[in-house]
Amino acid sequence: MLSLGPIIFGLILGLVIGSQIKLNVSDAKFTKASFIVILIAGIIVAWQSGNYPFYTDLPISTAFLSALIGIFVGKLLFARSK
Amino acid sequence: MSQGSVILKLISLPISILLICLGIMTILGGHITPGGGFQGGAMIASGIILSVLVYGLGNSPLELSHLYIEVFESVGALGFVIFGLIGLFVGGFYLYNFGTDLLNVVPAAIQSVFHYPDVTNAGIIPYLNIFVGLKVFAGLSAIVIAFAGFKKIVEEGE
Repeated sequence: MLSLGPIIFGLILGLVIGSQIKLNVSDAKFTKASFIVILIAGIIVAWQSGNYPFYTDLPISTAFLSALIGIFVGKLLFARSK
Repeated sequence: MSQGSVILKLISLPISILLICLGIMTILGGHITPGGGFQGGAMIASGIILSVLVYGLGNSPLELSHLYIEVFESVGALGFVIFGLIGLFVGGFYLYNFGTDLLNVVPAAIQSVFHYPDVTNAGIIPYLNIFVGLKVFAGLSAIVIAFAGFKKIVEEGE
């Protein structure tokens, strides 16, 4: 059975923190392609973490992945660029 | 304030985002693995600190406003106290785990509302971890952002 707790609260915490990401404030340019690379790197980290924290529903860390998705969604929905 | 090279500036934001995700993962596994609110909150704050140190205050993509820090520091502390008081009034002890209810004194409706949705029957422990994590994350980030601000003021004064 899929454990909903880490998914729901990972998304909420990710939304909370992702809402503070502001791009175009430094001289380093981050485009959509950069975020796709970060997403792929995050999926690899989540895969290598295994089913942390010891839930046996999926062979991937659902808390990590939902936090990453929450950060991106929070950045897209709530972040204000300067 | 900013001392980062181009390579540092390119790699710091991705590493900060991954560090924040690891911190959230540590918070959410706190009730069954080593880790928990303080450790996860410190890991999230380390992501913010890395970003502020490399890009500099005022240029950082991950910079928290005064209001944001204030709100989440208060939510963390108040949430912990409120959950403790609910346990006191419902179960008779401060921080009584009314999501699991080992003494069978809590109404089933309250128990089902505050039961953390996973297979471990942990009750309110994950919620307490989340509140502690929010408080530590906001507090540690605030300390470093304040130090960076003081340094900026000193540098501008010289």
